[in-house]
Amino acid sequence: VAKTSLTSPPWPEVKLPDPVEEAKYHAEVVQKVNKMIATGQYGRLFAVVHFASKQWKITSEDLIMMDNVLEAECGDRIRMEKVLLVGADDFTLIGRPLLGKDLVRVEATVIEKTESWPKINMRFWKRHNYQKKKIIVNPQTVLRINTIEIFPCLS
Amino acid sequence: MVLLSGPRWLRSRLTDRFWRVQEVLKYARHFRGRKNRCYKLAVRSVRRAFVKSTKARREKKRFLRALWITRIEAASLEHGLKYPAFISNLLKSQVELNRKMIADLAIYEPKTFKSLAALAQRRRQEGFLAALGDGKEPEGIFSRIVHHY
Repeated sequence: VAKTSLTSPPWPEVKLPDPVEEAKYHAEVVQKVNKMIATGQYGRLFAVVHFASKQWKITSEDLIMMDNVLEAECGDRIRMEKVLLVGADDFTLIGRPLLGKDLVRVEATVIEKTESWPKINMRFWKRHNYQKKKIIVNPQTVLRINTIEIFPCLS
Repeated sequence: MVLLSGPRWLRSRLTDRFWRVQEVLKYARHFRGRKNRCYKLAVRSVRRAFVKSTKARREKKRFLRALWITRIEAASLEHGLKYPAFISNLLKSQVELNRKMIADLAIYEPKTFKSLAALAQRRRQEGFLAALGDGKEPEGIFSRIVHHY
């Protein structure tokens, strides 16, 4: 059969590695990372956390400011549960989309509950005698991330 | 007896004109020219400044998103992937990091970004193989392919 422009697909042909060998390699890597976590051979950990409808990249001793109210008193310890990614220097654990709660633990403390600076909201139409001025003050909360811990429960 | 109208020497006069004017001028102090000193010019400039800042607060979100996308595109091209391929394959592998995070990771955690790019590349190849199918001809009479030898 003659070769036309549609005989082969427009992307280059790819060959995936052997599934059995791949499974062995994956198991080896997982074991290695588990051992590393168990022995504690990591430096500073960073995590990507989904909190207050935003994603934050946090490390320990980090300050975070949210533009809303948290129903916790100043000085309360909080555990953040929606962790998307945890990483150290040599390895990263990517969640699909979240990581398990028995794998990562992120602790934070509420430090401050203040209001934002007065933001001015003004609308004006020229030649129509229309202007409105509103001062918006949002409540803010400041959190300090205390620790990020990981446990060797990979499989 | 009740006096309904006050005598003519009692007038209500404005005493805090200075502070009312200062309330507007304090927002104009860093402007250029006479509009940082003269009230009539300052009122117009301050009003325009407030309106522009309200509108800019809405456009800042669009602008930052475009910036993140440009950065992710540049970083993924360094690893040999284009932006649409990278993002679509990441989403298909159920990694729900938003563009702000991926841009931050590309700047501050290059090794993590490299692993994300490798993940997207692998998912892309698996997608191509799945799209090719088994390579057999379809069944049925009208969809049968005629071989000319």
